[in-house]
Amino acid sequence: MIKNLTILLILIFSLSSCIEIMDDLTIHADGSGTFRYNVNLSSNKIKVNSILALDSLDGQKVPKIEDIKEKVQQFIKTLDAQNGISNVKIEENYTDFIFKFSCDFTNVLLLQEGIKTTISSLTKEKNASELNHNWIIWDGTKLTRSIPAITMNKVKDLKQNDIDQLKLGTYTSISRFDKTVDKFSNPSAILSKNRQAVMVKTDTYSLKENPNILENVIYLISNKN
Amino acid sequence: MSFKKQLLFSGFLLSFLSVKAQKSENLIPKDAVTVFSINNINLFQKISLDELISYDFMYEVHQELFDGSTTGSTLKDSGLDFNQKLNVFYGKAQKSEISGFSFGVKDQQKLFTVFDDFDLIEKMSNEKTKVYGSFFNNLIIRENSALLIRVEPTMDYISERTDSIWYARGNESPFDYFGDEIEEPSILDEKVFGEEEEVIEEETELFPDASEDPNVKNYYELRDSVQLVLQQAQLELILNELLVQNINLPSFDSRFAIQLTHNSEGVFYMDNARNIDKASGLWYFQTVLPSLYKDIQELYAGNVILGDIYLKEHAVQFDITAEYGVGLGAIYKEMNDSKFDKNILKYIPNNSSGYFSYNVNMRQAYEKAYEIIMPILSEEKNAQIAMNVLTIELLNEFINKDALFGTYKGSMFGSFNGFKKIKTKKIEFFYDEETFEYGERVAEAEEDMPIFTYGITIDRKDIPEKILKHMGRLTSKIQNKGNYWIFENAIFDAAPLYMINKNGLFILTNDEDLAINHSNGYASNKLNRKAGKKAKKSGFMYANINVAETINRFPMDVLNDRQNEIIQTLKGKSGSLELLSSKTTIKKTDFKIEYTFQGDDTSGKHLLDLINSIYIVTK
Repeated sequence: MIKNLTILLILIFSLSSCIEIMDDLTIHADGSGTFRYNVNLSSNKIKVNSILALDSLDGQKVPKIEDIKEKVQQFIKTLDAQNGISNVKIEENYTDFIFKFSCDFTNVLLLQEGIKTTISSLTKEKNASELNHNWIIWDGTKLTRSIPAITMNKVKDLKQNDIDQLKLGTYTSISRFDKTVDKFSNPSAILSKNRQAVMVKTDTYSLKENPNILENVIYLISNKN
Repeated sequence: MSFKKQLLFSGFLLSFLSVKAQKSENLIPKDAVTVFSINNINLFQKISLDELISYDFMYEVHQELFDGSTTGSTLKDSGLDFNQKLNVFYGKAQKSEISGFSFGVKDQQKLFTVFDDFDLIEKMSNEKTKVYGSFFNNLIIRENSALLIRVEPTMDYISERTDSIWYARGNESPFDYFGDEIEEPSILDEKVFGEEEEVIEEETELFPDASEDPNVKNYYELRDSVQLVLQQAQLELILNELLVQNINLPSFDSRFAIQLTHNSEGVFYMDNARNIDKASGLWYFQTVLPSLYKDIQELYAGNVILGDIYLKEHAVQFDITAEYGVGLGAIYKEMNDSKFDKNILKYIPNNSSGYFSYNVNMRQAYEKAYEIIMPILSEEKNAQIAMNVLTIELLNEFINKDALFGTYKGSMFGSFNGFKKIKTKKIEFFYDEETFEYGERVAEAEEDMPIFTYGITIDRKDIPEKILKHMGRLTSKIQNKGNYWIFENAIFDAAPLYMINKNGLFILTNDEDLAINHSNGYASNKLNRKAGKKAKKSGFMYANINVAETINRFPMDVLNDRQNEIIQTLKGKSGSLELLSSKTTIKKTDFKIEYTFQGDDTSGKHLLDLINSIYIVTK
């Protein structure tokens, strides 16, 4: 279903000049946490509405809002049933076209496994290599992360014409901790004043050009210190 | 005259007759409804075959050519006789659909390097005529002309015959095999990795297992067999008519034969009277009310569109005549008998990228249509039609036609005035520096919006005022601003629509500048006098489009696939398109379309692009 949502996003990417995406990962000391993924298309609502008014685009059926709502509900239900995942929510705003996903998890492996299982069960995407990609690795003091590979793969597929428009979009990746951050590897990243959150921001065009641009290894100050 | 002279004369006459017999247009089947006949195919000598077959009008036959064997070749290398016409045709009747083209042949050996997948069908061939077949198409060579044709029975006809055989054999409905309803593919179900295996699984579920009894055909196998037999029968019927009885389109329709004599680069023919058969909405009349259908056909009799294409330096001109039968001609004459409303010129800016005017008199058209069509309907002995006739007659008595046609007279105009940034609201995320927690705030945004203006001529301005006033009471989105009305967020729930009800016009626009600053027209910035005069002088219709500014920047998202295809053929070009029309008489209306262009593209290429556009529109 994330695939479905991602496809919808990519469809909208390709026709939107200014998309705002944000992923926000909070990891507590015990490895549990919250994952949030927001997509904001409000600056292109005329265009999104004009697409949704069409029956088909590039030979494929354009879903009606009711179809999207139904798929979203299916996704929530399936993901919520996965081991280690709870409190799945998606706020859907079809006036401004803002979608906010959030869920709690007991550890990052179960989060990634849950998402993979959900996508596999709701779509035909059983063996997609991108699903096997682990984009979060957490060992208690070090977080190695990128962004979901499935998003990057879809961005890579976009045509040059779409890419010109992607330059106006943004992708923001935030990682939050209970502990203080010691250092991080990505030179573009910035640290919050309370030193417990790291943010990396880029435009979607740069992300397509360099899929590793948001990769970051974040080291926390250990308790011993 | 001496014997020798007589012999010479006879020989000359015979050779002349034989040349006449070899004309490619004589291989156009009479069932062709739309034909493009290109007189001067020398223009296409330099166009590569690969490029040629990429056109939509070549689609039906392109499988024969698009197999790699033509890579790098041009028409010049294909054995074609450039002294004969190239005729592209299409036709759809109730039983079959035909498409193809006929052309002159100079070198058969070279021709078969292009059409390299054809095998001779001996039983259909004779000394004079050779018939070749491939998987999809047939190639017929007779003397120095050839016909490439595809005949497909219509699905309705195939299903009708298949069902008849299927049920006569005592079978039950074949559709019981289907379990679940088949969902239309959705963009949400994009094809992805590992999909192939599942497709096979689905197909296995959909189709009955033939191995249950290999000697008995299931419904789909039967349908395939029926299709094959019908295809063969239809082909034989058409070829017999064309080659044995010598009935072809020029001999069947003298209007087309006359058109072929014109000294233009190409001619165009579309028989609207026969085209109505493919109007799917008429199936009910065809089956349930055959006599009414016959009356409708009679009404359409004589309706044909004939055209000439002229190539000039940096211009392609189409002269088109729409001919009518008596009944429809009378209606069209009344409809198009309308005075040009010069008020519209005030609302078209001089820098408009594209605009049109359309002047019709709906009242007169209604009265004439009522006079002609009602007697036809009244004759029909059918309860439902009788009730409809009564309803129409009562409405005709009770409805205030002055008010109705005073509100919508029928004349209209439209303009596309490029793109403007319009102000919208967006939500943006902002981040707290301390924690990177984020919030949302409303911010101003700008989006590109194509600016359209559309207006109708109106006598009763009080009626839309009444409607808007009451609508304004129902929703605060509709407000009277004095010189105009505004409907907030009417366009995709994001941009306002403005309505101007002044000067005998009711105008809808998304152009804020027009509504606020120019509700009485653009004054000195209105369409210039020369352009206005042209529009005024044209009959009931006029259009002028700056191709570079309009087509290339047109928002494709708002068009459907078919419209998109048409626009795509004109994309990347510069120049202008102008459509002029004559006064409509009871017999015809003349149209002239002139496409002027700049750039290095050859006229032949432009011509093909335009032919393709027309083909898509008319197919």
